[in-house]
Amino acid sequence: MTDLLERTGALVKKAKSLGADEVIVKTTFGRRMQIRFSNNEVDISKIWNNYLTDVALTWNKRVVATEIRNFERAEERVEDLFKLAKVSQPNPMYGGIAGGTFAYGKSKADGKISTLEEPTAYVEQAIEAARAEVPTGLNTGGTLYANYEDVYLVSSEGPTGRDARSSIELSIRAFSQKQASGHGVECSSSLKDFDPSRAGRKAGEIAWLAKDPVAGEEGTYDVIFDPLITGSMLGTYAMMASAFFVMIQMSVFGNKLGEKVASEIVTLRDSPASYSVANRLFDDEGVPARETVIIDRGVLKSYLHNTSTAKIFKAETSGNAGLVVPEAWNVELDPGGLSREELFGEVRRGLYLTNTWYTRFQNYAVGDFSSIPRDGAFVLENGEIKGSIKDIRISDNVLRMLGGMAAISRERQHIHWWESQYPTLSPYILIKDVKITRPK
Amino acid sequence: MDTMDKDILEYALDHALRNGVEYAEARAHSVHQEQIVLRNGVLEAYIQSVDGGFNVRVLADGGLGFASTNRWTREEADATVEAACRLARASGRREKIQFSEMKGNEADWRVEEKEKVLDVDPESKIGFLSGIDKEVTAQGVEVPSRMLQCFIDLTEKYFINSEGSRITSYVPKVACFIIISVKEEGKVEQAMRQFGYSGGWEAFDIWNVADELAHETMVLQRVIKEGKPLQPGKMSLVCGTEVVGIASHESCGHPMEADRILGREMSQAGRSFIYPGGPYWLGTRIGSDLVTIVDDPRVEHSYGFYEYDDEGVEARPRYLYKDGIINEFFHNRETAAKLGVESNGSARAVNYDREAIVRMANTYLLPGDMSEEELLEDVKHGVYMKSFTEWNIDDRRFNQRYVGREAYLIEDGEVGSPVAKPTIEMTTKGFWSAVDGITKDIRFDAATCGKGDPMQGIPVYTGGPIIRLTGVHMK
Repeated sequence: MTDLLERTGALVKKAKSLGADEVIVKTTFGRRMQIRFSNNEVDISKIWNNYLTDVALTWNKRVVATEIRNFERAEERVEDLFKLAKVSQPNPMYGGIAGGTFAYGKSKADGKISTLEEPTAYVEQAIEAARAEVPTGLNTGGTLYANYEDVYLVSSEGPTGRDARSSIELSIRAFSQKQASGHGVECSSSLKDFDPSRAGRKAGEIAWLAKDPVAGEEGTYDVIFDPLITGSMLGTYAMMASAFFVMIQMSVFGNKLGEKVASEIVTLRDSPASYSVANRLFDDEGVPARETVIIDRGVLKSYLHNTSTAKIFKAETSGNAGLVVPEAWNVELDPGGLSREELFGEVRRGLYLTNTWYTRFQNYAVGDFSSIPRDGAFVLENGEIKGSIKDIRISDNVLRMLGGMAAISRERQHIHWWESQYPTLSPYILIKDVKITRPK
Repeated sequence: MDTMDKDILEYALDHALRNGVEYAEARAHSVHQEQIVLRNGVLEAYIQSVDGGFNVRVLADGGLGFASTNRWTREEADATVEAACRLARASGRREKIQFSEMKGNEADWRVEEKEKVLDVDPESKIGFLSGIDKEVTAQGVEVPSRMLQCFIDLTEKYFINSEGSRITSYVPKVACFIIISVKEEGKVEQAMRQFGYSGGWEAFDIWNVADELAHETMVLQRVIKEGKPLQPGKMSLVCGTEVVGIASHESCGHPMEADRILGREMSQAGRSFIYPGGPYWLGTRIGSDLVTIVDDPRVEHSYGFYEYDDEGVEARPRYLYKDGIINEFFHNRETAAKLGVESNGSARAVNYDREAIVRMANTYLLPGDMSEEELLEDVKHGVYMKSFTEWNIDDRRFNQRYVGREAYLIEDGEVGSPVAKPTIEMTTKGFWSAVDGITKDIRFDAATCGKGDPMQGIPVYTGGPIIRLTGVHMK
């Protein structure tokens, strides 16, 4: 694979020889496998082999980029890109890309994932574990992904690196009745920590508990959010922590650095940790990916930056490039001091919501939104599940919910699935006075 | 385009057939894409790329296997076919997958560009988009954040299958996605607008983006200055075409997708309130007899336009709800076989590395016979929700909510002052059953419909006339 690094570097030299100011070239060879299943059977199995070179270059503060998939014509594409830069427009706010050389450490990617031939057995394990939770008639569906990528990055400003990234993820939803379902996910960067049965058991258990739901009531409730739904919420915070989203006013965190934006028990960080499905050594500028504290004990500490957005905000890059848009890698909410059982014991009368989807905003800058719980939704009394409900909607505000966070569990789960764009490490959380609505 | 080799595709199909499969197809895409990103009138980045590759999908031993690559060599084609066949056979299905019958189709179709996108040089494109931004800021309204993205997608496809289909197509698409934030009295309101067109750069002459955005800025300013919350209660709701379009898409289009109905999307985009043996099925009433919702891929120059779907089936209109009755589902060949009908050409894929799944194209409510004035004059007390901001719907597509962006109070047939964020939250049957008036003029909006795993954002139109709902709860 050394030749791939050389070919990547050769394109940087080509662009520089044309007159580009800065050039970053990243070559990725990705092998991805998916098994989709429903009604307890495999629907389709897929393999993708993807060979891709991303080129970004600047000339007199003009930023252009391309993807190259035909390597025979790669140099020609770089020439086209440089011509595009010359007729493009300057961005006076553009602040450059990272310079220098960095020591990256060693990738902990699991090579066994790259050689998986046919992982149907993992799907079968998950289905069987789900069905074991229910006497009869459980219907399951879901997805298994196995990913392995070799990544080579060369920047004209110094950074040069090679990374390998691996992940395996399983998502399973189980139905005990048409309107009684549970969902479980299992994500890992390595096979040794991957237990698909865990996801299956959870999906089956919740599906069984959710049987015979009745319509929920509008009102204001203390709500315990399962790690799955916490993951969706953390994903929203992650997007809003990107400096770019702050700049385009798609964030509640604009102009709030140093201010209290959440309950004091909230510490939120972004981490490209080796356990995560987003594991990586460096960002798209070649800056070492590292941990960044976004919210520290309720106070907004940092946005997520690339070099250019950092310059605008008079900060330093946080190693989250995206050339235009900095992005979170893996968002972690720090654990609290309560066990799951103790957390449930905090609720005299409230709700336990296990999943959600379709979160939509009236106004991203203000944070008013609604989101629709799906799968098991339960009435809690004195910490105990007292009934299954349906047809409700969370209709609240991001900042109010961050401020209403009253307790966090010690247990956390790594979450990434179809509905959660950003990987997260998510606990159970208790939020006070959550507004719930329903159709009339 | 330089990223397609039809001989390799034929070679791959031959290889698959030698493998003894029940069915095989190969589909190649070659795509020229441009993305122009302007923030507050300044170019953030110009991204231009040429993408291309092919996939092979086979049905073997009753299982489906799919493999894709972007390397155009015979060795890679061999490996891709072998992988697809191996995966199909390993699925071990008890209930064997079958495809509905169809004859092989041969066709070569394309969408024309009056003004070819590639004839407009990048400098002119940037200048044109900057001009739109300038006009938006020239209205005397503070618009502190303006994000304008232009997407160009010129896609050539070649589809072949073991039943003799050979279909070549070329579809150019131009789209704009815009987010604006208006500030007034220290408060911010936002709007997102999308424009989409199958054709050339002439799209911008049709859209009139600058005028549309100028209108939005003034609407948002007025909502901040004059908008009052609605006193909740039962009243009439007049929905503008944008609201009718989203409701048609979300609460008619999606639940009528047969893959959802049969459970294939159960763990992602969900199921449907329609399912075999359930209370709603073909022939069940779901709305008033004024309600007929159609999906037609062949609306000329529409964002969701196609003549043949990605399984080689000829496109035709689908009458989803007809006279208020559930009438016809969206099908690909797999779901059609399962329900004993023919595919109605609803299989679409966004690129070569995605399987074709059941999708909408252009979903809209058919017009009625009223003028807007006639529709309004009988409203004693109500809201005119011309456009929406927040919206969502549950994963059975039955419990939905739309929040107004531009909305006005109606009293005794007169449209009055702005209402801030009026909200309707009700069931699909409740919504469509309450329709008692429909205007005769129709309008479409472009949207990107999300579905699939991995996600496939597919271009669609949503649309319809203006409608009136009577006796609904608003808040």
